[in-house]
Amino acid sequence: MQEREVIIIGGGAAGLAAAVACQQKGIEDILIIERGDYLGGILQQCIHDGFGLEKFHTSLSGPEYAQRYIDQVKEKEIPFLLNSMVVSLTPQKEVIVTNYRGLRHYRAKVIILAMGCRERTRGAISIPGARPSGIYTAGVAQELINLKNYMLGEKIVVLGSGDIGLIMARRLTLEGAEVITVAEKLPYSSGLPRNINQCLYDFDIPLLLNHTVVDIEGNGRLSRVTIAQLGKRGGIIPGSKRKIDCDTLLLSVGLIPENELSREAGITLDNITGGPQVDERGQTSIPGIFACGNVLQVHDIVDNVSLEAEYIVEGVEEYLGGKLIKGQEIKVELGNGLRYVVPQKMISLKDTTFSFRVNQPGEKKILIFKDGKKVIKKKFLRGVNPAEMIRVKLSSSELEGIKTLSVKLV
Amino acid sequence: MEREFICIICPNGCRIKVEYEGTNIRNIKGDECPKGKDYIKNEITNPLRVFTGSILVENGDFSLVSVKTSVPIPKKYLRKIGEITRRIKVEAPVEISQVVAFNLLNENIDLVATRKIEKKKSLSS
Repeated sequence: MQEREVIIIGGGAAGLAAAVACQQKGIEDILIIERGDYLGGILQQCIHDGFGLEKFHTSLSGPEYAQRYIDQVKEKEIPFLLNSMVVSLTPQKEVIVTNYRGLRHYRAKVIILAMGCRERTRGAISIPGARPSGIYTAGVAQELINLKNYMLGEKIVVLGSGDIGLIMARRLTLEGAEVITVAEKLPYSSGLPRNINQCLYDFDIPLLLNHTVVDIEGNGRLSRVTIAQLGKRGGIIPGSKRKIDCDTLLLSVGLIPENELSREAGITLDNITGGPQVDERGQTSIPGIFACGNVLQVHDIVDNVSLEAEYIVEGVEEYLGGKLIKGQEIKVELGNGLRYVVPQKMISLKDTTFSFRVNQPGEKKILIFKDGKKVIKKKFLRGVNPAEMIRVKLSSSELEGIKTLSVKLV
Repeated sequence: MEREFICIICPNGCRIKVEYEGTNIRNIKGDECPKGKDYIKNEITNPLRVFTGSILVENGDFSLVSVKTSVPIPKKYLRKIGEITRRIKVEAPVEISQVVAFNLLNENIDLVATRKIEKKKSLSS
């Protein structure tokens, strides 16, 4: 059994930013454990640009954004393992890693969970029909085209309007495929408005809201899908079924934080975010185990992943120094209009950044924080959209003396 | 004429309402920063986009290297640049920001690498 001060599970955007932040705080004994054969995680396949506007004030592609952190990891000689999979995590903060050398055991004072998320698949949304080849999740399609040099097909239908689906619609178009349509079950897109503009409108790809795929045909290879319009209650509108000839179906139907290890360790998860429940320092229900990035909550912008990782490392530093003192626990009560909040609870009243997602799109909304009947803070929001995470910082002076904390959107 | 634009410069995705005649902006509402104004100016005269894609690498530790145009280019060239990137190759090693194709379409469009690719390690060494 080897001892480490901090073990970071995952070498993607969150893990790299956490490692660099730990190193900057003088924590020397770090180990990053990465399952893939390179650092940077999903960023390496996100070859489009628009990353880093907040963090670096310039527009970078995913690999460039990752490289900024990888360079720091290498320069500071922060140790990392590649092709190494954590197969077990215990509440005592012991991990078992498997790689080509066999099994290794470690014990750490702090574990940072940074495993990211994975995609929902056809099984998760139960599309009926045949089971031919030619059906991919958008992220797998992205990896095949951008890293592995496989082209997927010629006539494409995209189901789901998540950002990766939109970006792949553009990418496939530029690689010479015909993207026939993007169908979205909801009355609004789950992707960012700028991506609908620059990935669909720029290439005249129609976005069909309130539509989904209801049948799949194909013997060997996909040959046709049937799409239908959905009514207000989600049922198929009679007569709206339409068959589309295509050889490829991409699914961009949501992401799931990858928390098998967290579950095994007995960490309490949030049913809505799919990530661990955490306090204002990103600490999970097990002291000394922290979480950041997409394993905690699915982000839309990588800059926020990096910022979240840096932010929770303040808690890591306090924990290692014996300064993360548990005061009275305050649960953050979620009111109207909001789907979730992170952190879910507070154990101290330091400056805290809260993340939210709303239930449905709206304009001219106000986010209100209250202690009982007393209003602590109001934040005006010009427009809200489930696709866009809302982040609001409350200072320690705003939080001072509160006994309860509730937040709602009106 | 009046039209709503969605600004693509940052993830805020401001919805900007613009009244304009030809290339002359009369009224602009909803932009939260100066970048929005510049975006609109370009959008009604000559829309610009950064092209991103990938090209083949020979003798590299990965088979593709991601690339982008060194500056935003006119939107009308995106598909043509896409066609070109399917034909060209570069020899490893490749550094980030290395120019991998010059003056495409004779429009002064350069492609730069956005990922570091090392030379493939030979089996004998």
